[in-house]
Amino acid sequence: MSGAVATPTTGLGILRRAVCRHRRVLAYGFPLLAAWQVCETLVPAAIGLVIDRGVATGSVGGLVLGLAALIAVFAVLSNGYRFGSRFVVRGIEEEGHLLRTELAAHLLDPRGVRTPLLSGETLSLATSDATLVPMVFRQLGFAVAATAGLVVAATYVLLVDVRVGLLVLLGVPAVVAIVQLVSPVVARRTHTQQERTAAASGLAGDLLSGLRALKGIGGEDVAARRYAGASADARDATIRLARSWGALDGLTLALSGLLLAAVTLLAGLRALDGDISVGELVALVGITQFLAEPLTALGSLSAQFARSRASAQRIADLLAAPPLLPSGDATPVGDLRLDGVVADPLAGLDLAPGDGELVAVAVEDPDSAEALGAVLSALRPTEQGAATLGDVPLAEVDARHRRAHLLVAPHHATVFEGTLRSAVDPGSELSAERLEEVLAASAADEVVSLHPDGLERAVRAAGTSLSGGQRQRLALARALAADPPVLVLQDPTSAVDAVTEQNVADGVRRVRAGRTTIVLTTSPALLAAADRVLLVREGRVVAEGSHADLLGESAYVEVVLR
Amino acid sequence: MSARELLPTATGRDTARLAWTLVRRRPGAVWLTLLAFVGAGAAGVVPVWLIGQVVDAAFGEDASTGTVVRAALGIAVSAVVWGALTAVAIAALTRAVAPALATLREDVLDRALHLPSQRVEAAGVGDVVARVGDDVRTLTESLDEAVPALLTALVTIVFTVGGLFGLDWRLGVAGLASAPAYVLAVRWYLPLSLPWYQRERIAEGERAQALVTGMQGAATLRAFGREDRALAAIDRSSRGAVEITVGVYRLLTRFGARLNGSELLGLTAVLLAGFWTVRAGGTVGEATAAALFFHRLFNPIGAVVHTFDTVQSSGAALARLAGVAGLPVAPAPAQAPAEGDLTLAGLRHAYEPGHDVLADVSLVLAAGERVAVVGATGAGKSTLGAVVAGAVSPTAGRVHLGAWELTAAAEADVRRRVALVTQEVHVFAGSVRDNLGLAAPDAPDDALLEALDRVGARRWVGALPTGLDTVVGEHGHPLTAAQAQQLALARVLLRDPVLVVLDEATAEAGSAGARDLDAATDAVVAGRTALVVAHRLDQARAADRVLVMEAGRVVEQGPHDDLLTAGGRYAALWAAWSR
Repeated sequence: MSGAVATPTTGLGILRRAVCRHRRVLAYGFPLLAAWQVCETLVPAAIGLVIDRGVATGSVGGLVLGLAALIAVFAVLSNGYRFGSRFVVRGIEEEGHLLRTELAAHLLDPRGVRTPLLSGETLSLATSDATLVPMVFRQLGFAVAATAGLVVAATYVLLVDVRVGLLVLLGVPAVVAIVQLVSPVVARRTHTQQERTAAASGLAGDLLSGLRALKGIGGEDVAARRYAGASADARDATIRLARSWGALDGLTLALSGLLLAAVTLLAGLRALDGDISVGELVALVGITQFLAEPLTALGSLSAQFARSRASAQRIADLLAAPPLLPSGDATPVGDLRLDGVVADPLAGLDLAPGDGELVAVAVEDPDSAEALGAVLSALRPTEQGAATLGDVPLAEVDARHRRAHLLVAPHHATVFEGTLRSAVDPGSELSAERLEEVLAASAADEVVSLHPDGLERAVRAAGTSLSGGQRQRLALARALAADPPVLVLQDPTSAVDAVTEQNVADGVRRVRAGRTTIVLTTSPALLAAADRVLLVREGRVVAEGSHADLLGESAYVEVVLR
Repeated sequence: MSARELLPTATGRDTARLAWTLVRRRPGAVWLTLLAFVGAGAAGVVPVWLIGQVVDAAFGEDASTGTVVRAALGIAVSAVVWGALTAVAIAALTRAVAPALATLREDVLDRALHLPSQRVEAAGVGDVVARVGDDVRTLTESLDEAVPALLTALVTIVFTVGGLFGLDWRLGVAGLASAPAYVLAVRWYLPLSLPWYQRERIAEGERAQALVTGMQGAATLRAFGREDRALAAIDRSSRGAVEITVGVYRLLTRFGARLNGSELLGLTAVLLAGFWTVRAGGTVGEATAAALFFHRLFNPIGAVVHTFDTVQSSGAALARLAGVAGLPVAPAPAQAPAEGDLTLAGLRHAYEPGHDVLADVSLVLAAGERVAVVGATGAGKSTLGAVVAGAVSPTAGRVHLGAWELTAAAEADVRRRVALVTQEVHVFAGSVRDNLGLAAPDAPDDALLEALDRVGARRWVGALPTGLDTVVGEHGHPLTAAQAQQLALARVLLRDPVLVVLDEATAEAGSAGARDLDAATDAVVAGRTALVVAHRLDQARAADRVLVMEAGRVVEQGPHDDLLTAGGRYAALWAAWSR
C-alpha cells in the first residue's frame, strides 16, 4: 500500500499525504474551480456591461457585445465547475478508497492490531472517517476558488474605483477574521456531537449483538431505555451545535450585508458626483452582494477542516496502533517447545510435543488454559522462560511463517457467511475425499446431512443460523482442513455430546496422524486418544503419562472425572 | 453472498403520515422555523430593491444624497435582521428536527429489540444499526441543508418575482420565460438519477458488510491466514462503490450545466426586456434592478431544484426508519397468575415447511422439577428449549404454566416468568453493574453482590480494578467465557423467574470453565422448574429426570439411575461420557 513511505502518525500528516498522492487530479481540478468562481464574480460585471453599452445607450451593437460577454462568462463558469468538481470528486473517492483498504489491511495484518475500539467503531472509521478525510480536497478547492474570486473581485473594483476598491479590500478580510472568532466553538461542538452520535450507534450495535442474551432475561425495555439516554445525549449535542452553526451563518450574512451597505453608500455617492457610470455602479454593488457566497464558504471552511482533521487523527491513531502479535524475520524449521514459561497464572510450564505426537493438556483452571492458548498464539509474551519454534522465540518468528507452521485454532472461531462448504474449505482447495475425511473426523458430516441442501446449505453472517455445537464442528473441520504442521485445538468438543466426542477424538487422531497436535481439554475421550497427557495445576505440569496411567493419580482424576 | 431478509420499509403513504406526525409534535419550534426563515428571506431581498433606488437616485432626474444614504442605512438594518433571523431559524430548525429524529431512532431500536432475535439475525445487526445511525444522519444532514435552502429560496423567489412584476410586468414575464428550461432540466434528471442512487445505496451496503465480516472475524482470519480473501472482498466492494459515486456525480454535474443554461436564458431575456422597456419609457434603474433581481435568483432556484434530489434520498431513509418504527408496539404485560406444573401438549415445529424439528412432544414438568434434555445434534433440543421459553412460536401445540397459556401470551408476559440462557455468550459494553442491571435496573448493590456470590462470581468481581463499576465487554476489561456466563446466570437470579431454560449454558466456557459453572447452575435452578439442555452429562445426573431426544421426539425419559439400568441410548451416552 504505502510501500516504503512511512505511515503518517498525525492527522495533518494523513491530510498532507492525501493531497500529495492526488496532486495530479487536484492540479487539474483547482484551476478549473478557480475559473468557475472568477466567472461567477464577473457575471455582475457582464450585466453592468450590458446595461452601460446597450440598455442605457439604446445601441443594438453594444447590447449584442454585452450579451456575448455574458455568454462567454457563462460558458467558462459552467464548464469550469462541471469538470473541475469532477476532478476533485474523483480525487475524494480515490483517497477514500485508499484509506479504507489501508485501514482494512492494517486491521487484518497477520500480526493483528492492539486497539481499544469496538468493532462498530472501526467500521465507522473505515466508512465515515475515511469519507471525511478526503473532503479536505473539496475544502481546499473551494478555498482556492473563493480566494481567486475575491482577488478578481477586488481587482475589478479597484480598477473601477480606487476608494470603493480599498473599502472592499479592507472589508473582506475583516469579515473573514471576525467570523473566525466563532468557528472554534463550532469545531468543538462538532467534535462532541460526532462522539455522542457514534456512542449511541455503538450502544445500539452492542445491544443488538447480545439480543439473545437480552431476550432470555427480558431486558429489552431496560436496554431500550439505556439507548434512549444515549440518543438524548446525542440530540442535545446536535441542538447545541446547531445554535453555533446558526450564529456562524448569521454573523457571516450580517457582516457581508453591512459591507454591502458601506459599498452601496460610497459607490452611490461617487455616482452622484459623476465619477462612475451606472453600469459600473451595478457591477460594484452586484459584486459586493455576490461576495457573501465565497465569504460564507471561507467562513465555514475552518470548521469543516477541523472535522476532517479530527477524522484524520482518528485514522492516524489506528494506523499507529501497535500490532497485537510480535513478528520478527526468522523463519525457523523445527519443533514447538515451551520451557519454564511464566505468564500469570502460568508458573514455569514445560511443553515439548514430539514430531507427529498427539499431546493432550488437561488444565485445572480456566485462567491457565486461556493463558496457555495466548502464549501459544504469541498473543502474550512470556515473563520468564521461552516459547520457541525450532529454537527461535515465537515472538521473533515472522508472523506469516509462524502461522503457516503453527495454527492455534481460536476457541471462539467465527463461521463466515456463505455455505457449509465454504465454512470448512474457504479456498475451495480440498479434494472431495479430503473434504469427506475432515468432515467425518469433526462429526461435521452430521451437520451436513441434517439439511436437504447438504454442503450447499446457506450459512448466515457469523453463523447465527447454526447452533453452537454445529458451529464448533465446522470450525474444527476447518482447522483440520488447514492441515498445519503443528495444530493447537482449544476445547474442540465442549458443545458436542459424549458419543460424538468419542468420534471426534478418533477422527482427530486419524486425520492428524504423523502431524504434531496439541489439544487443551479435560474431555476423557480426547485425553484417552492422546499419545501423552500433561496435567497442569497451579500453572505448571504436575503429572505426565497416558490417560490410563494417570487415572491412578488422584489429582488427575479430580480434574478429568465428570 | 446469501440474500439477507431485511426488515420492512414503509410505503410512501405511511412514510408521509409518520413525517406529518413528527412535524406536529413540536408546533412551536416548527412555526418559529418557518417564520424566521420567511423573515430572513424577506430581509435578504430588501437590499436589491434598495440598490435599484440608489441607481435611480444617482442617475434619475431628482438625484439626491439623502436617498443614497437612506438606502445604505436600510441595507445595513436589513443585513442585521437577516443575520439575526438566520441564526434563530437554524437553531429553531434543529430544535424541531433533532428531538423528532431522536424519538424516531429510539422507537426503531425499541421495535427491533422486541422483534424475535432470529428475525433480527436474518436481517443482520448491520441493518438496524444502519437505520438508527446512517439513515438518521442522512435525514439530519438533508433536512439541515434542504429546509433552510428551500424556505429562504421560496421566500426569495416569491419576493423577487413579485419585485420583478412590481418594476414592470414585461420584466416579470421575461423572468418567467426561463421556467420551462428549469422544468425540462428537472424532468431529465430525476428519472435518470433514481436508479443510480439505489445502486449507490446497495453498493455502500455491500461495502459495509465486507468490512464488518473482515473486522468481526479478524482473529479467525488471522489464525488461518485468510486475510487476503477478506481484503480482496473489501477492495472489490469499495472500488465498486467509488465508481458508482463518481458516476452519480458525473450525472449531477450534467444537470448543473443544464441549470446554468436556464440561468443564462432567463438573464438574457430580462436584459433584452430591459432594453425594450427603457426604449418604451422605463428607467435604467428598473432595468438594472430587474437584472440584479434575476441574478439573485440563481442560488435560490438551484436550491429548490436540488431539493427534489434531497427528497429522493432522504425519503428513502425515512421510509426505512418508518418501516421499523411502524411495527406494533410490544403489549404491556398482563397480571395473570402463573404457577404450577409446566404442560407441553402436542408440540410441533418446523423452521422450513415439511422439515419438522419437533415432532409431537407432550410432557408435564412438575413445579420445581429439574429436567435435563440430551441427544445428538439436530435432535430438536434447542428448539424445545426455545419453545418452552417463548422465544419461538411452535407450528402446532401448546405450553401451559399452571392454567396460564404461555404459547398464547405476549413475550413481555412470558419473560416475567421464564428466563432463557443460551450458549451465545455476550458481555455488554458497560460496567458490571450495567450488565446485571439489564435484568433488574433498580436492584441495590447488595442484591447484585448477593447474586454474584451465589453464582460464584463475587470473588473475581471484587478483584476487578473498580469492582462493580469496572467496564467490561468489547471495550473494557476482558472476561473469560466462564465469567461472562456467570454474569448471565446472575442476571437470571436477579430476574427471579418461575421457570428457567438453560440451553448449553456452560458449553462455550470450555471444559475447565464448565466446572465453575456447574455450581452456578445449581444456584440458578434451585427452587424453580428447570429445563436444562446439556451435553455435559453430570448436568443430566444432577437432574430429577432426563429426556433423550432423537429426530424431534422424546425417545427415552426417566431418572438418571433408571435410564442407566434400562440400558438404552442414555446408558450408551453415559458409558461414552464416563469412560
